[in-house]
Amino acid sequence: MRKSLLDTPPSTLFAPSDEVDFVIVGAGSAGGVMARELSQRGFRVVVLEQGPYLRAADFRHDELAIGQLAALTNDFHSQPNTFRTSEKDVAKKKEVIKYGRIVGGGSVHFTANYWRFHEIDFIERSRKGGIEGSSFADWPITYADLEPYYTKIEWEIGVSGVAGANPFDPPRTKGYPLPPLPIKPAGVLAERAAKKLGWHAFPSPMAIISQPYRGRSACVNCGFCETYGCEMNAKSSTLATMIPEAEKTGNCEIRPLSYVRRVETNAAGRAAGVTYFDANKREIFQRAKSVVLCANGAETPKLLLMSESNRFPNGLANSSGHVGKNLMFNGGAFAGGAFEHEINGFKGVVTSRVIQDTYELDPKVGLAGGGGFDFRHDLSPISFALGGLPIDAPKWGAEYKRMLQEYYTRSVYVLAHATSLPVETNSITLDPTQKDAWGLPAIRMTFAEHPNDVKLNEYMQDRAIELLDAAGAKKSWRFSRDPWFPQVHLLGTARMGNDPKSSVVDRNHRAHDVPNLFIVDGSSFVTSGRGQPTMTIQALAFRAADHAARAAKGAALS
Amino acid sequence: MSEGDIARRRFLRQSAGTVSAIWITAALGELGTLSAISCAPTKAKTSWQTFSAADAADVEAIAAQIIPSDATPGAREAHVIDFIDRALNGFAKEQQPLFTQGLADLRLRVSTAHPGSQSFAALDRQQQIAILHALEQSKSDFFTAMLAATAAGMFANPDYGGNRDKVGWKLIGFEDRFFWQPPFGYYDRDEATHA
Repeated sequence: MRKSLLDTPPSTLFAPSDEVDFVIVGAGSAGGVMARELSQRGFRVVVLEQGPYLRAADFRHDELAIGQLAALTNDFHSQPNTFRTSEKDVAKKKEVIKYGRIVGGGSVHFTANYWRFHEIDFIERSRKGGIEGSSFADWPITYADLEPYYTKIEWEIGVSGVAGANPFDPPRTKGYPLPPLPIKPAGVLAERAAKKLGWHAFPSPMAIISQPYRGRSACVNCGFCETYGCEMNAKSSTLATMIPEAEKTGNCEIRPLSYVRRVETNAAGRAAGVTYFDANKREIFQRAKSVVLCANGAETPKLLLMSESNRFPNGLANSSGHVGKNLMFNGGAFAGGAFEHEINGFKGVVTSRVIQDTYELDPKVGLAGGGGFDFRHDLSPISFALGGLPIDAPKWGAEYKRMLQEYYTRSVYVLAHATSLPVETNSITLDPTQKDAWGLPAIRMTFAEHPNDVKLNEYMQDRAIELLDAAGAKKSWRFSRDPWFPQVHLLGTARMGNDPKSSVVDRNHRAHDVPNLFIVDGSSFVTSGRGQPTMTIQALAFRAADHAARAAKGAALS
Repeated sequence: MSEGDIARRRFLRQSAGTVSAIWITAALGELGTLSAISCAPTKAKTSWQTFSAADAADVEAIAAQIIPSDATPGAREAHVIDFIDRALNGFAKEQQPLFTQGLADLRLRVSTAHPGSQSFAALDRQQQIAILHALEQSKSDFFTAMLAATAAGMFANPDYGGNRDKVGWKLIGFEDRFFWQPPFGYYDRDEATHA
């Protein structure tokens, strides 16, 4: 990155001693939306972001530096994680968590697969019953509550797609603002396969603009989407959309390289602001009337647990004991196929067709949840050489080289995105011994898949193979079904609910225990949906902002 | 990574593991410096940043078995050795001991299997392949690192010293452009005409 940009001080609007209306922790998918919504209503907002403030001009086509995310995400060496599969074990160092550590967060480097949840995702527990070994529950809100916000975000940031093309789509009040991106060779194959199986392939809804929109240029199909930042600002990240709009209000200050270590509370048990490390590791206390945590499903519970005090001995907002519990990822089963002719998946966005005929499974299958598929190619050359070939292919030598030559332009991957069930013992906690470079406890993950998820992934992978075969693949193959690490969808760790005994935030994202503390990110999720959580995270943020603004105006907060 | 499902470098992580990780994640600070170095014209190297001449010959010989030169260019023509030499003095510095140890172990294997031979590089093709198979079967970290380093040197941006004249990219059919128009490949030809 150009040093000059990293060093450019952002415009300073507020002093730490100013009691701003809202301090938001995390400038990512949710934080960017909250910042824009609150600042546009006249509230004074400070957003603290761990990572740097890069711009489109800083992103480049460089797999070694950016594609593998060293530049855009958390660094395991300075912020280690530990991992164990059971609470009985001592966790060992392992890179298990990956998130956007940059202004714009994960929305900068994500694939931009932009799926709405369906109605069933909010009410599956009451519709289909409980599941042994899972803390499966209904959301306290329904799809109908969130629908206006799904529509709102599609129009606010620019999403490309075709309304009504997916027969399983939940109801929507308005079509997409932009037509779909061009169909890719893999998309044509998805259509062929779906037709053969009696299924339905539809244009992938993507948070990438297919035509100029609100002053931004359209996608030029360069192919550097997933893991990269968009050099064109065609990807509808909060960096390209919400954050500049927030700054334009003159009420919002984005403070990069600011790592929050604690939410401070006052004698009345209300949030009083946050303490963070600045770029020079100096501790600074930013006063605020309300605090909003948008730090992601791993960092948010970590911050709550670190914010313990005499009044909140188990961590802030944790009288339920549910902070950090019910961690979910989304299942993801992968299969590959090699075709006779050129696919050239490296051109264009990652995916152009999705299939959701398995969103809800036939009860005869006997599995909870479901999922969907996309046909994709998302491997830049180095990644492909190290992991894109069939798993039984040689790893070196003349045949390896021959296969690289044949397969790079002719391979398609089918990725199944699926349910991950909540399990109370799957959790984020503070590691008792391991520290990060700031002396804060490392994130400790405890995780073992629910047996249903293992079977569901197996089922979905079988269907992925069927799809590839139906598409006419010369050869199809499976990749490992073990949970992938590091994980990127970090969900469920401060779940939403009506009962303060079994949830952390209420239906409006307000902490049950602390009325001026809002928690808005993947941690609020009650169920995992079938994948692609970003759109729901952002729709929730729009909705939460409405409620936070109303609460603040009513002066009910401080 | 998403949040969004940024995912699927999981492929990579899975197959790569910690030993290889460094080869596919250059450090942020490295970029400026590395990009500033222009590619030297092709010529016999007389000095290396990390390696002795003998080490360089062995490492290059290993890379040339991983991605051999045949009818098309391989690791040798891509100057993978330049990439590795430079990286071990830069973003992959922490793996210098692994390479030192790995090369010493390699020499031992060579002298045991072929008493009197000068070096790995001096063995013939079949002898080299046999040694590398044995290394692979021993689950050698050095060999795993060599696989990752060779792939990175073959396919990273030429700015890093390998992938000379983009031979790696040409080999597999990848092209780095800022703009593409449909049709992208074979199967979408009709679609693009109708569109």
